[in-house]
Amino acid sequence: MSRFLPEAWMLPIVDDLNREFFTSGKLLLQQCVDCQTVQHPPEEVCHQCQGMEFVHVESAGRGAVYSFAVMHYPVHAELQSAVPYAVVLVQLDDHPSVRIVGNCLDVPPDEVEIDMPVQVTWETLADAETGEQLRMPQWQAIRR
Amino acid sequence: MLGETAVVGIGETDFYRAGQAPLSEFQLACVAVKRAAEDAGIPLEDIDGYVAYSDRQDPVRLSAALGTKRTTFTAQCWGGGGNGTAHAVSIAAAAVEAGYARHVVAFRSLAQGQFGRFGRARGPLRVTGARAYTSPYGLVTPAQECAMQTRRFMHEYGVSQEALAEISLASYEHAQRNPRAVRYGQPLTREQYHDSRWIVEPFHLFDCCQESDGSAAVVITTAERAADLPSTPAYIKAAAQGMGQRAGATAFTEPEFPTAHYKIVGEELWARSGVGPADIDVAQVYENFTGPVLIGLAEMGFAPPDGIEEFVSDGNIRWPDGGLPMNTSGGNLAEAYIHGFELVTEAVRQIRGESTSQVEDAELSLVISGPGYCPGSSVLFSKDRG
Repeated sequence: MSRFLPEAWMLPIVDDLNREFFTSGKLLLQQCVDCQTVQHPPEEVCHQCQGMEFVHVESAGRGAVYSFAVMHYPVHAELQSAVPYAVVLVQLDDHPSVRIVGNCLDVPPDEVEIDMPVQVTWETLADAETGEQLRMPQWQAIRR
Repeated sequence: MLGETAVVGIGETDFYRAGQAPLSEFQLACVAVKRAAEDAGIPLEDIDGYVAYSDRQDPVRLSAALGTKRTTFTAQCWGGGGNGTAHAVSIAAAAVEAGYARHVVAFRSLAQGQFGRFGRARGPLRVTGARAYTSPYGLVTPAQECAMQTRRFMHEYGVSQEALAEISLASYEHAQRNPRAVRYGQPLTREQYHDSRWIVEPFHLFDCCQESDGSAAVVITTAERAADLPSTPAYIKAAAQGMGQRAGATAFTEPEFPTAHYKIVGEELWARSGVGPADIDVAQVYENFTGPVLIGLAEMGFAPPDGIEEFVSDGNIRWPDGGLPMNTSGGNLAEAYIHGFELVTEAVRQIRGESTSQVEDAELSLVISGPGYCPGSSVLFSKDRG
């Protein structure tokens, strides 16, 4: 699948904290070993108990649009061909304290709505500079 | 605090569209500080403290350039950007009250034309840290972040586009009376507002602050010393900074999202000052974008969230007849975007009786710093001490 935004647009630098989220192809969320709290984005310290050891828990990847913004002004030359596009904030059904930013790949920007049910899908991207293979979580509408 | 300290001098450069300042950002800072000292009637060399937020002008360089004889206090506020305007004043006031310095300058100098515009993506196309979870999806700038927060607020509380328009129209109306304003002579109608292009829904062009070059500064000293100086003191009745639990959780995961981070600020400010929202005569509310202003006003207690549209409508925030005239210089939207510090100088002018949209007998003049980024901060100036 080609990328939703232009191929040359910004990519995350993969590091020890975000590696599972951006490369596994699963919606892996950080979970504290000590208190089992799930938090996103991953942090160095658990916000609940200050634990510093973590495992990952997989979300089923279903949720609803909690908020969204529709971008019209291209804030960078690489986004000139992409506008207008929507960015959605998805609240997960199985971890309601977690919200994840992404794009809704199959819904035009003027049809995105709050509470719209969505499920995770994936973009596979290669970072030509680092050679890193990325699996970026994205969203598609759940049609009823 | 309660009137123990006061702003005794204000200084500004001319304000310019981004890229049009004839001076460097550092030179702009020097001009504003010099003018603030002159206005205070204090020899420039006797300024002995420097406080800023998000600023690039190191007090080491600044104090050398300004001939400061004895620098005894320097500080810069943590976190975000324009949310620090009032807190810079607060830090300066705390320093003079503690006796760490005698005449402290709080300032901000900003030349977006020289250092990159806030409304555009800057730097390389690789991103790390918290922004790795947002920027690759095309959410990069403050306008876009505040749009995400504002959209949810509008949804939860039934707020319409007209509420956003009211913030913009008030600023533009007031700017038409202020020759310093970049948008002086450029009135805005409701139709022009709605017809203007979208930057990021729900923000039209006129929901967004300008990008400007300029500098603004204030001099703060104790109330005792203020009594011997020529200007009318704007006493610092109270100030507050605050943010809630996990307010700093990134990528829109803070528990209270959508919040402007002003609930704690409001609680503390009203408790410390002994007054409430209904007592305020005039307010300067940092408008990077119109939406967060509505959230900030609600969290400070001016109206419940589902009543905030009614609060800002029907001319209630406009000079001269509104219940709470707001952004009387034109603010970030229509005067200039000096990262909000031009709102602090305007709040002082209201106490002095020197605004171009002067509220009659203004006794209590409020600044709400940048809503939407944490920690929030606020300062309340009073005409009377205590």
